[in-house]
Amino acid sequence: MSFSGNPMIRKELRQRMREKRGWILPSLYLVALGAVISLTYQSITLRQSFSFGSAHVQGYQVGVALFLTAAYTQLALLLLLAPIFSAGSLTIEKEQRTMAGLLTSLLSPPKIWWGKFVASLLFVLLLLVAGLPVVSVAFAFGGIGIWDIFITSITTVIILGTISAIGLYWSSAFRRSVLATAVSYVTVIVMAVVPWIIFGMGASSREYDSVASLPFWTRASLYINPVFFLTTAFVPRAQLYPQWFWSLVTFIVVGAVCVLLAIRNIRRSGDIS
Amino acid sequence: MIEVDQIRKKYKDTEALAGFNLSVADGELFGLIGPNGAGKSTLMKILATLIHSTEGRASIAGMDAAREPKSVKRVVGYMPDQPGLYQDMRVREFLEFFAAAFDVPRNKQRSAVEKALDRSNLAQRSDSFVEQLSFGMKQRLVLAKTLLHEPKLLILDEPATGLDPIARIDLREQLKKLNSEGVTIFISSHILSDLEDICDRVALITAGKNAADANGQSVLVLQTSAAQLQLYEVDFLGDTAFAAARAAEAPGVRVLDATASKLLLEIQGANLEAAKALQFLVMAGVVVTRFDHPAPSLEKRYRQVFGVRQP
Repeated sequence: MSFSGNPMIRKELRQRMREKRGWILPSLYLVALGAVISLTYQSITLRQSFSFGSAHVQGYQVGVALFLTAAYTQLALLLLLAPIFSAGSLTIEKEQRTMAGLLTSLLSPPKIWWGKFVASLLFVLLLLVAGLPVVSVAFAFGGIGIWDIFITSITTVIILGTISAIGLYWSSAFRRSVLATAVSYVTVIVMAVVPWIIFGMGASSREYDSVASLPFWTRASLYINPVFFLTTAFVPRAQLYPQWFWSLVTFIVVGAVCVLLAIRNIRRSGDIS
Repeated sequence: MIEVDQIRKKYKDTEALAGFNLSVADGELFGLIGPNGAGKSTLMKILATLIHSTEGRASIAGMDAAREPKSVKRVVGYMPDQPGLYQDMRVREFLEFFAAAFDVPRNKQRSAVEKALDRSNLAQRSDSFVEQLSFGMKQRLVLAKTLLHEPKLLILDEPATGLDPIARIDLREQLKKLNSEGVTIFISSHILSDLEDICDRVALITAGKNAADANGQSVLVLQTSAAQLQLYEVDFLGDTAFAAARAAEAPGVRVLDATASKLLLEIQGANLEAAKALQFLVMAGVVVTRFDHPAPSLEKRYRQVFGVRQP
């Protein structure tokens, strides 16, 4: 399962970097992220100028606002991009009839999965790293610490890892990339939207003062929500338990189930290769 | 090398293999023929460890294909009927990837790739992208990739489909050469003349089962080595039953077919034994007008077994 010992990883990365989207998507991503950060900054400073003076908005507040905007924008953009890299990676082997070649080589199904997963995730991480200079603008205003960057990045990586695992599962389950990608997007939308609907219904039906006081299923549905998971990371370190912790467990469990099912599907794909 | 015992493969509604048996010896160049949907590709996929049989056992070099897939993969090179290629990779990159995927030791990967390039006559195109190669070149590349780990057994599913005549001749020569180097080859093809040219024996399969010709044989002997079996066709004058009875009395001779004024004999041994059999027939009173190897006609035998599709 190592990085260097798996020829799949090098093959995948080489092929991905040769595709046009290998440079188009990072470019678009940075333009979009930069635009959102600029607009946020403009809107804050504009509001400030209408407030007759700088006393109303402190520098650290600008920093925090820019950081939060960058973190949520990054997550949203990467949630849109992650399925593109993962959902087509196994179906393409079926479409171009190369799966038989992989399965009759000495690459085991877990190695094939790992190669695809690492390549998918690395490309998304490349975007995450490429966006750091844009995000670092927030540092100039203060209010953000190393811990905030660390926990936000870790949380985003875990979310993207799980989304990639889900995309790979759908990729192992379907024969066509179009279908696998479409279903992956539906899954992301369901994860991102449905928990808020359940939350809205749960919250409106009774009084509550914290997430912990919500009914179990309302709470549980939030743990699979990527935005909620990221939001739980923006609390003091001592308060990461229980919400951040249980979101982490949920994402890891969902990811692990997807891994096992995907490997099982790869093992069975000799019939259609 | 290959032992297949009562193998079955069921899908939801169909039975692709329904109790097929096969035995291929080490060093043989063995063919598999049958109509479309007979179960040829399914059998080959089972032998290549791509799929598992529902019942029965398939073993390669004594290893169970279902239980020891990794060991089997080390000795098997499999080329599917529609092999896929990474069109966006260079020829050398493609071979390097599969050399690593087949666990060729790191210090031997370069020489393995060079050998594969030489073998496929693609050394000059090693920096070309796969998509730039002709169909014949791609087929040669796939075969070269299949040989990277020096397998003892090659399983080739319709390797000549779509090739032009020159490419087909090249492929046949390459397979003969590999076979002479000790590689056992199990090949299916609809191009019967190709199989006739290269195969020692051919198994017949239809509806997932062994099919048999008019003589009840499910494996046809095409090429025989000097020390093994030879087929002879005998034309004669006079009573067929008498001639067949005399031929059956000859030592080392088996009568495979007896029709009006014609016998098909299987003679054990080389030319000397064939000459002795002829002498025996003549001395026994059979008026022999022709004694020769039968005209090669796998197609004729194929049509006898599987019939001719009506327009």
